[in-house]
This record gives sequence, C-alpha cells and structure tokens, in this order.
Amino acid sequence: MGADRAATVSIWSAALAALAILLFIIGAILWNGLGTALSPSFVFGKPQAMREGGGIWPMVVSSVYLSVLTLALVIPLGVGAAVYMAEFARAGRLARLVRFGADSLSAVPSVVFGVFGMVVFVIYLGLGYSLLAGALTLTLLNLPTVARASEEAIRAVPQSYREAALSMGCTRWEMVKKVVLPVAQPGITTGAVLTVGRIVGESAAVIYTVGLFVRKVPWSPFAPAAPMAANIWHMYTEGALVPDWFRVASGEAAFLLLSVLALNMAARMLAAFLRRKMGYSA
Amino acid sequence: MSHVLAREGEERPLLRVGLRSQKSGTGVDEEGHGVKFRLQGLCLYYGKDKILEDIDLDILEHRITAVIGPSGCGKSSFLRCLNRMNDLVEGCRVEGRALLDGADIYHRDYDVTSLRRKVGMVFQKPNPFPKTVYENVAFGPRLYGIRDRDILDGIVEMSLRRAALWEEVRDKLRQPALALSGGQQQRLCIARVLAVEPEVVLLDEPCSALDPIATQRIEDLLAELKESYTIVIVTHNMQQAARVSDYTAFFMIKGQGDPGRLVEYGETGMIFTNPADERTERYITGRFG
Amino acid sequence: MAPIGKEWLVRKALLVMALVMVFGLALVIFFIAKESLPAFTEAGPANLFGSTWDPGSGRYGMLVFLTGTVTTTAGGLLLGTPLALGLALFLTQMAPRRSRPLFGRVVELLAGVPSIVLGWLGFTILVPWIRKVGGGSGSGILAASIILAVMALPTIAAISRDAIEAVPDSYLQAAYSMGATRWQTIRRVLLPAARPGILAAVILGAGRAIGETMAVAMVIGPASVFPTSLTSPTHTLTTKILVEMGESTGVQRSSLFAMSLVLLLLAMAMVLLVRRVSGSRMPEGSVHA
Repeated sequence: MGADRAATVSIWSAALAALAILLFIIGAILWNGLGTALSPSFVFGKPQAMREGGGIWPMVVSSVYLSVLTLALVIPLGVGAAVYMAEFARAGRLARLVRFGADSLSAVPSVVFGVFGMVVFVIYLGLGYSLLAGALTLTLLNLPTVARASEEAIRAVPQSYREAALSMGCTRWEMVKKVVLPVAQPGITTGAVLTVGRIVGESAAVIYTVGLFVRKVPWSPFAPAAPMAANIWHMYTEGALVPDWFRVASGEAAFLLLSVLALNMAARMLAAFLRRKMGYSA
Repeated sequence: MSHVLAREGEERPLLRVGLRSQKSGTGVDEEGHGVKFRLQGLCLYYGKDKILEDIDLDILEHRITAVIGPSGCGKSSFLRCLNRMNDLVEGCRVEGRALLDGADIYHRDYDVTSLRRKVGMVFQKPNPFPKTVYENVAFGPRLYGIRDRDILDGIVEMSLRRAALWEEVRDKLRQPALALSGGQQQRLCIARVLAVEPEVVLLDEPCSALDPIATQRIEDLLAELKESYTIVIVTHNMQQAARVSDYTAFFMIKGQGDPGRLVEYGETGMIFTNPADERTERYITGRFG
Repeated sequence: MAPIGKEWLVRKALLVMALVMVFGLALVIFFIAKESLPAFTEAGPANLFGSTWDPGSGRYGMLVFLTGTVTTTAGGLLLGTPLALGLALFLTQMAPRRSRPLFGRVVELLAGVPSIVLGWLGFTILVPWIRKVGGGSGSGILAASIILAVMALPTIAAISRDAIEAVPDSYLQAAYSMGATRWQTIRRVLLPAARPGILAAVILGAGRAIGETMAVAMVIGPASVFPTSLTSPTHTLTTKILVEMGESTGVQRSSLFAMSLVLLLLAMAMVLLVRRVSGSRMPEGSVHA
C-alpha cells in the first residue's frame, strides 16, 4: 500500500511540476516583457541603434512575411505528398524510401538546415540573405511535419466516404479533390496554423538565411529581413549597439510567446469550428 | 414453364429457363422484362482466396432482385462485382463475364466511372458526406459538370422527392446531413444516388443499421423505385427479401474457406414457398447448421 | 486500366511532391558533406576529432563540443525523462476526467514554446540564479541540462502517452482483477507492455536535445574548452556552429560543416534506432493533434 501511495504522489507531482514549469515560463517571460510587448510604439515602432526607444515593426513584418512565403510553398507540397502516400502509394520500396526521407528530414537539427540553406540558397543560388532563401530553407524543415499531419488527417477520413464517392463514378483524383480533402481540411488547417507557430519561433535555421537585423520593413521576397526570433539572438549577441537591448529583447520574447500561444489556441478552436460546421458533434 | 431461373447443376448450371433469348442481354422474361445484367461463369478472387465460384445469373430490369444467404457467403462481394467496387480491394481478380446491357463491364476498354454512374450503390451504414443536405444530393450532378443553379435545384428536389425525403428536409437543405436521423440519412444516400440518374441501384443491407419504422419507409420506397430502376438488394433479413423482391438468389458456402456459390435463383414466391433445393429450404425455414 | 491523361498526370505530380523529401534529404547530405570535405583533406580526421580547438594554430578538434552535446543531452534526459513519464502516466491513468484536457494542453503548449524564448528565459533568470546559488559562471552544463529537460519533456511525454494508451485495456483489467494495486499494475503490466514506445520516446527526446541550438547557446557559456565543473562555460556542436559560422573561413569554416555532418549522421542513426525499437514507423506523438 505504501508503494502505491508513493507512486500516486510522485505521478501527481510530475504532472503538477509540468504545469508549474509552463506557468513559470509564461509568467516570467510576460513579467519582463508584457509591458513593452503591449505598447503600440514598440510593436509598430522603428528599430533604433545607439539610442533607446526602438521598436520592432520590421521584425514583425519579417516574421509574418516569412510565414506566408513558407506556407505558400510547404502546404501544397506537404499536402500533395500526403495525398500521394495516403491515397496512391502502394506498399513497396518507393513508399518506404519516402517515409525514410521524411523521418530523417524531421530529425535533422534546425541549425544544420540553417547552414545548408546558407550554402545552397544564399550563396549557390545567389539569393543572398533574403526572405525567399529563408522560406525555401523552412519549407524543407517543415515539410515532413506538414506531410505527416496532413497524411494523418487524410487517413482519418472514413473509408465509407471514399466508397460513396467512387460508387458514384468519381475517378480517384475527383474523389480526393471533392470528398477526401474537404473532409480532411480541418486537420490540415490545424496543421498549417501550428506550422506558422513553428516558423515564427524558428531562429537557428533563419539566422544564416534571412538575417538578424533590419531597419526598414522588407517589401521584396529578395530583401534581407529579420524575423523576431532571430532578432532576439541579435540583441543577445550584439546588445552593446542598442542601449536598451534588454528591454527590446524581453518585449520581443513576450510578443513572440504570446503569438505562438495564440496560434496554438487558434488552431484548436479553428479545428473544432470547422468540424462543427460539417455536422460532426465534436 | 419452370419458375426456377437458376440452379446449381452438374456441368454447367441450367439457367435462364423462361427467357426467350440466351445469347445476349436482350432476353426478356414472360412478363416482358429484359435482362439488365447477365453473369456468366463469374469467379472472384481476393489474392489467392476464391470468394465466389462460377456464378451464372440474369438480373431483370425494373425488377427487385434480392440476394440472401448466411453471412460470409459472398453476397456483398457479389454485389460489389456489379459496379466493380471490388477493384478497390488489393489483389482482387474477376474471371468469367459480367454483361451490362450486353457489354462486358470487366473488358479492358470498359470505363469504370461510367459504369458506376449507371450502377449506383447504397451502403450498409448511411454514409452521407459531411456536407449540407443539398450538397450531398448535388454532388453527383456537379461531378458530371452541371453548374446551373436552377437545374441543380430541380435535380435536388426531384431526387429528394423520389427518395420520399423532400417533405422532411425541404427546410433543412442548408443544414449538415449528419444532423439527420439514421433513416433520413439512408434515404438521403438513396436520393444522392438517384440524382445521378442511374439505371441500376445496388443496396447492400441498407436497413441493417435502421429501426423498424425507418426500415418500413425504405421498403415502401423500393417498391416505388422499381418502376424506373433495376434494383438489387443484399439482405440478411429473409422477411425483407420476401416482402420487397420479385426474384431471389440464394448464396451459400460449403464451409470455412470455400468460395460462395449460387444455390438457387428464381421468383421470390417460389423460392420461399416451394424451393427446389433442400439447402434453400433448410435456410429459409431456419433449420441451418 | 487507368487512362493516360489528367488522372495519370496528377498521380505523377503527387509522386514528385512526395519525392521532394527524399531529394531534399539527399541535397542536405550532399552539400554538407561537400563543404566539410576540405576539413577532412586538409586537417585530417585525427585533427578533426581531436580535443583541441585552436584555429590559430591549425587545431580543429571537435571533441570538446561532442562532449558538450553528449553531457548536456544526458543531463537533460536524466532530469526530463522521469518528469515526462510521470506526466504521461498521469494523463493516461490518474488524471481526473475533467482535468485531462488541461494537462493535455500543457504538453501542447510546452512543445510550442520557441527555443529562443526558452533560451532568453535561461539567460535572464536561470543562469543568474545558478550563479547566486551554486557559484561559478552560472552558465554551463547544468543550466543547459535544465533547459534541455524542459525542451524534451513534451516530446517524451506525448510519445509515451501514445505508447501507454496503445496497451490493451484487457491487460489492465486482468491485473486489477487479480488484486494488483494501481502501482503494481503500472509497474508490472503497463510499463513493460509500453516499453518499446517509451524507449522510442526517450530516443526522440534525445534527438531533440542533441539538435537544440538557440536555447542552449544562451546558457552554455560559451567557451571552446572542456568544462571543469557543471557550472563552467563550454560549447556543444550546435552552439559552436551557430556562433562561429558567420565569422569563419577556410578550413575553420569547413570543420564547422564537418560538425554539421556529424549531427546529420547522428540524426539519421537515431531514426534507424527508433525504427528498430518501435518496430515500424517513427512515432511522432500527438503533440500537435
């Protein structure tokens, strides 16, 4: 009985510790940075060097821009790969090869993607430090996750829908396009929103492909930019150039954390909303 | 003239007694109903397993043909031969001939999608798409390129009326189909099939997931539909077969792992009152294994 | 059977999309290997895997960083695994029904915290705190291990939870019916049955820790020397690459790519190991479900 009691207490403590860790992370980051992160002059302000009071507007735009570019590449590719694996691939060497590629790619550290992107996209293809070079790098980085999440969403579509579609004379592709993808769409959308969270939070793969610091809002995909996550690293390493670097980095960290948490919540609510719209009860 | 259309025999089963022509799908029975489907020596394999053996059978148009037999006898697999849904099973192979209006549906050049357009199917469990009621019925017509709103509206209403569902859902067309009751969902699936204007409707135990009242409505509906369609229904419920069908085919397997065979095929009245085969009688009277 | 045309084209296009991942992996391996070639030809493997990093005198040893990676990963797993397993057991066995979604959300949100944010937290709070309590610089293996424990926690917890949930209920019922306590059931039935999955979870957690860059970089030191204590500055493979890639050329730069190659090979070895352990596909854990 004693062992059972002790185990119960330990397991409960582990769970509460995890909860406490999460709350501590959120609490500490917001404690230092929330005030800054919520002030419009910070979010929409111009960055400053050598003087205080700078904002992060170009970094916010960089993060959003990078997310949009990456999504535009990774979602079609990932969903296409998922459709192939779930609906067309026969069990065999080719399917095994694709799975091995996906699994390995998803295990590669992001800093390795970063230096790869630097060599191939920045230097070899001559894109320079740019949003496009970063988006290409992040596409490769996120592709396995997007493909996997989409494949799971597609496989979760009841077989009876496929049968109904085929029995009405759909070709396989028509079935995929008109029934399978629309039904899997809540799952795919959730995956996409979570992918935005990962793109926005990524720094190691971005630092050597997109850039760390910009003064002006980047408008062209070929322009260098500075996503927030990379800019925090810049503040940490080159802080001496910005007198209030601690305030800027804290504010940026808080803004970043809030965005990612909001994206997580949004993904969940969106999925529930889309499923309800289709008539599922949950 | 014998009412027995088919019987398992020694060499080649004696079939189609009572039909004037035996060579193509143009034969007619005494009442003038032509042959819609003609199956000749049909065998079905899943990989190495033989599921159906040597099925010879004519299905007559504008009639309801019931397929009965103990579970595992290949009734559903048989039904799925008729619209080639078995193609989806990996390693599936068909031998023999299956003629629809005289054309072999397993011929290399036969277009599967046009076959399935002609031969619609209703499944065991209602499977409306998670779209609105309207979108479900309009699915088929849209697939075949109909975009015009008024035409679509017309098709949807007509199909729902034919499926005896219109009065119940006319105010719910924009609501999710999954919000309907089980019986309504199954009639919606029938409406969805009818919207494609098929010639044959296959039903695979369509009432097994429904309560008696919903079952009654579907049975009434089938009686009306046979005026315009050829209907083949698989059912495990013998009373249902006796109530709704004109012809009945009895399938059986000898034992575990054996292929399903057609034991007897004939007018439903005869099969149920005076079966020619002892095994049919034993099954119908419930004295089986 | 499949007509060559749109259907065929779509199929091939989708195949190409799936193969992008294979080509991508091949490209990454090729270019990282190509860039690290000068390090192998000009410095030589003995130098590269030596224990001194001093580009000024032509020494490019990565042993310091490899040691840093191994020790911080081991430390992270040591701290994180018990916590993660406890959380997984709580989620599957003990959590009151109403609080289960809350703790599930904890796993998701922890997995979503960007590593740069965690690094900032480590730099601003954890390192000063360790410095105050334990002395030394505050940064080093201890701080990195704590951060990595937090990073690996959601990965290990989510995949273990899936492994535990996959254990058939009948096992547990059998154990309980014989009078086993909850802990006896967990220890003697549940954990052994879920072992392969839990092992895979820990390996994947290790993979995450090995590859983690930003969070470690802000708490590790940095210094290119072996640590003298748990709180003295050092480096890991990832942090060394991150910090020095921008300002190095020639053989020095190439040796950083050699470190990337080591990381790449480690990652692929992990994948093979996980597949070996868990039997088939790499589990992912429904962190993002």
